Amino acid sequence: MTEVLARRSSRGVALCLGALFLIAACGGGGGNTGGGGASSTDVTVWTAWGGAELKAFKDVLAPFESTSGVKVHITTNRDSTNQIANGIAAGTDLPDIAPGPTDPVMVKSWVSKGAIKPVETALGSDFSAYISNTYPALTTAPGGASDDPYIGVIGGKHYELMIKTQVKGLIWYNKKVFTGTAPKTFDELLAINPSQYGAQKLFCAGFESGAASGWPASDQIDNIIMRQSGETVYTNWVQGKQKFSSPEIKLGYQTFLKEVSAANVYGGANTALSTNFGKAGDPMFKTPPGCLFLEQATFIPSFFQQDFPSLNLKAGTDFDFFAHPSMGNTQYDGNVNGFYDNFAMYNDTPAARKLMAYMASKDAQQIWVNDGGTLGAIKSLNYTDPVFKNAASVAASAKNLLVTAGDFMPSDMQKAFWQSLLNVTNNPGSLNAELAHLDQVQAAAYATS
Amino acid sequence: MAGIDVGQIITALIAIIAVPLALLGYIILGEQIIERLSDSLQGWIRPYFWALPAIGFATIFMVYPLLRTVVVSFRNNDDTDWIGFSNYKYFFTFPDTLTSLRNSLLWLVFYTFFAVFLGLVIAILVDRVRYESLAKIAIFLPVPISAVAASIIWKFMFDYQPPGTVQTGTLNALLGVAGRDPVAWLINATTNNAALIFVGVWTATGFCMVIISASLKAISSEVLEAARIDGANEFQIVRLVITPLLWPTITVVGTTMLINALKTFDIVYVMTNGAYGTDVIATQMFSQLQHNHLGRAAAVGVVLFIAVVPLLVINIRRFQQQEEQR
Repeated sequence: MTEVLARRSSRGVALCLGALFLIAACGGGGGNTGGGGASSTDVTVWTAWGGAELKAFKDVLAPFESTSGVKVHITTNRDSTNQIANGIAAGTDLPDIAPGPTDPVMVKSWVSKGAIKPVETALGSDFSAYISNTYPALTTAPGGASDDPYIGVIGGKHYELMIKTQVKGLIWYNKKVFTGTAPKTFDELLAINPSQYGAQKLFCAGFESGAASGWPASDQIDNIIMRQSGETVYTNWVQGKQKFSSPEIKLGYQTFLKEVSAANVYGGANTALSTNFGKAGDPMFKTPPGCLFLEQATFIPSFFQQDFPSLNLKAGTDFDFFAHPSMGNTQYDGNVNGFYDNFAMYNDTPAARKLMAYMASKDAQQIWVNDGGTLGAIKSLNYTDPVFKNAASVAASAKNLLVTAGDFMPSDMQKAFWQSLLNVTNNPGSLNAELAHLDQVQAAAYATS
Repeated sequence: MAGIDVGQIITALIAIIAVPLALLGYIILGEQIIERLSDSLQGWIRPYFWALPAIGFATIFMVYPLLRTVVVSFRNNDDTDWIGFSNYKYFFTFPDTLTSLRNSLLWLVFYTFFAVFLGLVIAILVDRVRYESLAKIAIFLPVPISAVAASIIWKFMFDYQPPGTVQTGTLNALLGVAGRDPVAWLINATTNNAALIFVGVWTATGFCMVIISASLKAISSEVLEAARIDGANEFQIVRLVITPLLWPTITVVGTTMLINALKTFDIVYVMTNGAYGTDVIATQMFSQLQHNHLGRAAAVGVVLFIAVVPLLVINIRRFQQQEEQR
């Protein structure tokens, strides 16, 4: 009896196994649901946005979908670069529209493979209007070069349609405390006497950010170097072609050290190093104020408001900012640190072209900025928020939009760069040793990445 | 990707169901074959037959990755070419990795020593008080807390505010009461490694105490009685009677702590992420992986493995001795 059972069950097992293998074989074939065909009524879009940003995007799309009859299929995909790279390598379907890659090597490679279609093609006759409407820094390679992969320009053609932008390196202040005029140069900024306004120190700083500690300091030094030594040195440095121990980068570090010197920074180095970037500006709003200025990007007001709910702080009346002052080399004053959002077209379909043209239009971008939290890429938009109104004038004054250095370095270089800023803040005497160490990391990081 | 991929779910289900089914099939079919063999052959083949799946799994999931790691450590980043000992040379010459080696040594010595020593002292002390279980609970409480949570708790304890303002960090608040300036514990190079190791000791002492305490209870009171009658004072009893009797346990706990010290990752990662010269071997291995230097990460892993092997051997020997004593 047991033998019969055993035999029967073993046959059953064999059957089950066979069935499972069949299913597995079938299952393997299914899968990719990404892209679309050459449709004139449907367009697939991948974005990294969620929450408020995604809602704003949907608001922008609503009038387009109802008037053009095109249905936009949005997928929030925060791994789109890798997945598109895989799709290009395998020759499988790509989304019609998705952001272009940030890695300059990847931009060039995708363009050379024909994976990204030029904005010129997508916009057709609207292209010249796009160029004249958009902030020049977003569409023009520094010095009229034909290549700038950091803004998607390759061989004189544009591969990334600029749709949003943000500027960094803004000097924030409490309007009730700092009542003077904005300094034009960095030396003028350093010459301001904080006690004249009742503040303890000139600058506040907060470089702590968990595992990413040091990035706020890197924003500060980026803004110094690009204005001090120019876009060529800056870009070469990002690409590992300019040594950290070179005079230009060393000068940048030395200038940065003035911002965080014991004489100039609130609480000294230990405070700058142990304060989280979100709380860095708090001493500006205390009585008596701890400092006059905090350098940070456009996102910082929400932190001020969150930390002082009882003060009911309002942008434009309680706090404001001025643009990063000149470093004394006027030919580099047009270099502005920032980032952008872009759309690249991967499938040239009538519907994709329509959407690209719509995203480049003033109507679309006005809806975008009305939802708040960002600058559009078009110069002539109306901003109700004083912060963005002011930031728009900084963007308009920009000749070159230069990306944040650390974000475009190999990751080991980025980590060493950020930590070096923490180390020199902690111990300025270690500067030469730190720069020599960074040279070593640079040689290793770019060689293998 | 849009929605849930049905194909992936089926593959996952197959993996969950098919592997046990295949094992079952292997046993049933195999046994049917073995039953037909001669008795002597059966006795010889059956143990191997039953052990084979376990050996197979261990080979696939442990031996193979180990060998593969060793292989990768001698290869370049793209795994396309042999590069000899370059990755090892990097590990033993680059300043960052040397710092992490030094710090791991600090962890090995101080973390192990203090965790075991405090565990021993506390175990002996609480053995002599009436509220023993209460005291033990208090000391043991940090053990079940995850290292990440412990690190965040201690980040608050070590918090630094500018001198002259309210100190929110407990330690600096105490210094303030004593009229001293606050110390940036996690930034200052003279205190940061000690502060991190202290957190490690805090989370491990309870574990050492519980194990040692259990072993302490096993020492017969007659032995201690006899020592007292012979005129030994309590210090002599601890030094000459209890500690030698506890020695096997202390060795096991100590080697476990040594291995923990070598594997230290979470506390350093959460509290400083290796900044200000606090990297250890494991965080170094992680950042190499993060930076896509697979060969270097593998080399670090191999060094770590080689460092752990002698400790494992000692531990296994100790277990074997204990088995024999039983």
